[in-house]
Amino acid sequence: MELAAEQKVPIRLSTRDPSIQIAEETGVLLVQTSLNRLKLSALVNDLLHKDERRIPFDILINGKFLRATIDEFLTQNGISPETTLDVEYTRALVPPLNVRSFEHDDWVSAVDVLSQSSAAGVWSGAVQSGQERILSASYDGLLRVWDMSENVLATSQPPNNGGRITSLKTAKWIWDKKIVAAGLDSTVRVFKYDDDTRTITQALELYNHRWGVEDIAVHGPSNRILSASSDTTISLFSANAKDNPAAPSNLLPNSTAASNKRLKTSRSERTVPARGALTTLTGHSSPVSSVIFKPDDATVAYSTSHDHTLRTWDLPTSTCVDTRTTGHSLLSLAAMPKLNLLATGTSARHITLIDPRASATQIAVMTLRGHKNAVVSLDVDPSTEYNLLSGSHDGTAQIWDVRNVRPSTVVGEGQAGESVYTIFRQGAPHSHGHGEGLKVFSVRWDSEVGILSAGEDKRVQINRAIGA
Amino acid sequence: MAPNARKRKAATRDAPAESGSEEELANGLFDGILSHSEDESGVSPDEDAESEASSVIGGLSDEDDEEEDEEEAEEEGGNEADIREQLRNLKTTDHPSKRIVSDAILTNAHDSVTNGELDGQEDEDPKPNYTVAIDANGNPRYLYNEIDPVYDSDDSDAPATTNTIGNIPLSYYDKYPHIGYDINGRKIMRPAKGEALDALLDSIDIPKGWTGLTDPATGKPLNLSEEELDVLKKLTRNEIVEEGYDPYPEMVYYFSGKQEIMPLSAAPEPKRRFVPSKHEAKRVMKIVKAIREGRIQPYKPPGEEDDEEERIYYDVWADEKPRPENSMHLPAPKLPPPGYDASYHPPPEYLPDKAEKEAWLAADEEDREKDYLPANYDALRKVPGYERFVKERFERSLDLYLAPRVRRNKLNIDPESLLPKLPNPDDLKPFPTTCAAIFRGQQGRVRSVSIDPHGVFLASGGDDGFVRIWELLTGREVWQARLSDEDAVDTVKWRPDTECSILAAAAGETIYLVVPFTILSPDMEQHSRDVLDAGWGYAASKPSSTTNGAIKEPPGKWSRPGSSLEHKGVLVQVTVRSMVKVINWHRKGDYFATVSPRGQSTAVAIHTLSKHLTQLPFRRLKGIAQTAQFHPSKAIFFVATRNTIRSYDLAKQELVKILQPGAKWISSIDVHPGGDNIIVGTYDKRLLWHDLDLSTKPYKTLRFHQEAIRAVRFHQGGLPLFADASDDGSLQIFHGKVVGDLMENATIVPLKVLRGHKVKSRLGAMDVEWHPREPWCVSAGADGTCRLWN
Repeated sequence: MELAAEQKVPIRLSTRDPSIQIAEETGVLLVQTSLNRLKLSALVNDLLHKDERRIPFDILINGKFLRATIDEFLTQNGISPETTLDVEYTRALVPPLNVRSFEHDDWVSAVDVLSQSSAAGVWSGAVQSGQERILSASYDGLLRVWDMSENVLATSQPPNNGGRITSLKTAKWIWDKKIVAAGLDSTVRVFKYDDDTRTITQALELYNHRWGVEDIAVHGPSNRILSASSDTTISLFSANAKDNPAAPSNLLPNSTAASNKRLKTSRSERTVPARGALTTLTGHSSPVSSVIFKPDDATVAYSTSHDHTLRTWDLPTSTCVDTRTTGHSLLSLAAMPKLNLLATGTSARHITLIDPRASATQIAVMTLRGHKNAVVSLDVDPSTEYNLLSGSHDGTAQIWDVRNVRPSTVVGEGQAGESVYTIFRQGAPHSHGHGEGLKVFSVRWDSEVGILSAGEDKRVQINRAIGA
Repeated sequence: MAPNARKRKAATRDAPAESGSEEELANGLFDGILSHSEDESGVSPDEDAESEASSVIGGLSDEDDEEEDEEEAEEEGGNEADIREQLRNLKTTDHPSKRIVSDAILTNAHDSVTNGELDGQEDEDPKPNYTVAIDANGNPRYLYNEIDPVYDSDDSDAPATTNTIGNIPLSYYDKYPHIGYDINGRKIMRPAKGEALDALLDSIDIPKGWTGLTDPATGKPLNLSEEELDVLKKLTRNEIVEEGYDPYPEMVYYFSGKQEIMPLSAAPEPKRRFVPSKHEAKRVMKIVKAIREGRIQPYKPPGEEDDEEERIYYDVWADEKPRPENSMHLPAPKLPPPGYDASYHPPPEYLPDKAEKEAWLAADEEDREKDYLPANYDALRKVPGYERFVKERFERSLDLYLAPRVRRNKLNIDPESLLPKLPNPDDLKPFPTTCAAIFRGQQGRVRSVSIDPHGVFLASGGDDGFVRIWELLTGREVWQARLSDEDAVDTVKWRPDTECSILAAAAGETIYLVVPFTILSPDMEQHSRDVLDAGWGYAASKPSSTTNGAIKEPPGKWSRPGSSLEHKGVLVQVTVRSMVKVINWHRKGDYFATVSPRGQSTAVAIHTLSKHLTQLPFRRLKGIAQTAQFHPSKAIFFVATRNTIRSYDLAKQELVKILQPGAKWISSIDVHPGGDNIIVGTYDKRLLWHDLDLSTKPYKTLRFHQEAIRAVRFHQGGLPLFADASDDGSLQIFHGKVVGDLMENATIVPLKVLRGHKVKSRLGAMDVEWHPREPWCVSAGADGTCRLWN
């Protein structure tokens, strides 16, 4: 033991975050193998000359998290203590705390953020810091825009759709002044949001679906909207009314005699332009649950469906390029661009990471287990490429680090991982499998606002790591 | 020297025999020894023998000295002076060597010599017990003492003549004819030497005690007397020489077990018998002190090492090779336990009577039924020895030797192992395992659930008369309508068509056809409306009439339900004659069958949607109809009554098959999508699998529920799953794989029990329905909830 404690290992410290780069060249350090994460973190802080505000760091050796001492890590991974270890330090994930919650009248089905660093904010480029806006879509059919101090800035008018259900399933900022929302009435609507007058007005109705819309994806620069529907199709729309063709008449609310009658009884003064889809992507055999644009290429889209497949679409030709079949219904999708991975949440309570590139031979690169119910929403950490946020019907949102994995025992699953942190709903520190009353429907991770999650408890909950 | 020694020895030998004068000899002998040692010329081995002999005799002579002293004391002093004078005279004649002898010895010798002289003066009177007195003539007069009759006092057998030459070697007399003088001063003549022949004869006839020596004193052959031989014998045997010594005296038992009337010792019991011993107390205290100081361990646990050291074990079986389990071991056959008649004291009814006894005795030994005769003894100790013991042992050994037991190979197979192995449920994934959503919000029991063909919505109907539609995954209620105020909604069923969305629900005697348009797109709504509206006017245009012209009441009345329901989307209602419990759609969606168990002849009705037509296929139905179902691919219609299931060919309008599950009361059936298998749930807690091609009896009976089974359902989307719902609140999921091959039977594996529904008024799960594609199922509970399991 005495000898083991004395044993030293050469390490080379590095980081990818320029803000915490060590100023002087440290070269190769010789440290004791008995050091653990905490001590290494202190060492880095000393090197950074951080005396007051010390930053907790996570230590990665060869891309894997150090959880015990270096000694144990070396033993587990079979690394000789004589080789120089490449030790990477990153800001540790501070457990997010519940900072705020936005009360709604009904279940909140979707939440989105407009901030300086969010996609819509980047696209519009006109969002000031401190002017973050939170968009929530609810089952009562209303869109709400909130500021950060829990005030409702604007609420949309219920749409006039001939007495149909108005429940919204998804909503997204496309610009700082434009919102896209869709729901069970199978219509995708584009709203205009005026921050000065604080109004949400409907700008466009897009008809192409015969069943409810489950998810939409937006791409600001090209004004494109993708909508995934339960009718097994995906539609591509333009946010500009003029770009879209005329709406198919059989899908308009006034197409049937009965609904026309109903429509007339509740006619509003303003008429909203109705348009059809640019293209319809067919290929899925079951309801499509989620769709996204490829982050760096808006001509490519990915979609997941209840038919167990993840499909890659080429939008200009509106063809399905690639199909990946998994073993379970896929309910959510998020892209991890730097890792070339797609994360999908399944009805079988786990998250599967899939490499969508054609060269990839393995279907599932990684499987993250820990949820107790279907994983219906996913988002990635805006600050690092490794963290993943998931929302599930079991009433929790969980944070994952794809580096925190080990080889799985199940064949074909790749590596298996466990969640780093679990966010429970406010006032419900436990979760049941069925998640009754607590289901999380939507999660977002924004670098300014924090972690947002919306759910059955009629709240949008914001969690943020204090001090991070 | 040697002859000298012999002579002396001979002289000494005589000494004890003599009395009185022999003391002088003894003294003289002493002197002689002493003088000899003075002018010793050499040492011979004989000396030892000499000294031994002399010491023995010396011991004897010591006693004599004492006696002599006493005698001297008795002598009168006056006489002594005379005797001394005479002695001096004598001494001068003696040889000079005597002078060297010390005074004490000299005086002693004087006395003895004077005595001897005085003796010698008396004529042949050897008696020493006398005193010398002077008689009247002046001559010494010997006055003899009274002879004390003590041991050794009698010397009458003493030899008459003794040579009194003193301590002079006999060789001095070689030149003389005599060899010395006797006590009276007469010459003792040399004994005549016999002739050689005499000597030879002597040597042949050896008398007892013959030594071959010549007595130096007498010159005669020296023979040992009887007593001397005895002494010698004892000496050689290392025995005590003393006469009369008994080495083994009679034991005297002073302390014996015998209780004496008078104890040997009359002393009272000593006090020490009653007082604790101080000595012992001291010793005990010493030990106690040692224990306290720890010098002595009061208890030392037996040291294992010591034991091991002491004992040496030899492993006899060290080289033993392991043998296989002895296959030749045959256990002895088990004997019947002994009966009453085998007892030594049996009850009288077991004792044989005289005739039986005679018969037993008369029978041949091999013919006897029992090999013993029951006998009665009063006590066990009176039972005599077993007379046939040896014979029986012998026969037993003979049996073992001549008739070894035979090993009969018995087929010993666990019947379980013959059954085919059921696959592990983990290998049969996916199947529902956990509750994914709870649909809450209904009052009273939920009686029926149905999932729409898209797998998006769930419809439920219950006791509160509402039909509700829910979003399947989230559990959000999206549509509802109250069909009836009084009646419960007994069944709901989506029309199996993805192009439109029509829900059939039954409350009471009415069947409602619903288009929940608020959750449908206008396109879907229009399609559905078109389907429902197609039949309007059909029935009116073709009124059915009987032969006598009277308009016959149609079995089902198709109508609009009224504006309030129509606003909700309930577009058509069909009223039949009795309460509808079951609706089942035909796969194409144009027909649906309803079952009203109480409706006697109108129990089973088939409705045509496109014509708004209700038909009663059975004029008369045997038994009470429970449920009815269309074949998934053929024009075959299954009707289940309480006990049987009948299948009818609708095209040919004939009975195809009667299945008899053997159940008391069938609750529900479901047809496998392949069409060749039927599962039957019964109220008597059994789930039966029927293979239509196999037999009319069930292929498998599964009895896992504690309560009645309410509903059974196959997965219709291609997964080999089926489920049942029971009154015990649980659902059971089974794997039921049907293979196309007719030779192979279906594999049925129980997979999972899903618990969650609470039992209310003895009702648990009321209905179960599978998702059209996924391995998810929904159950309706009596506790007012539906649950989605995935």
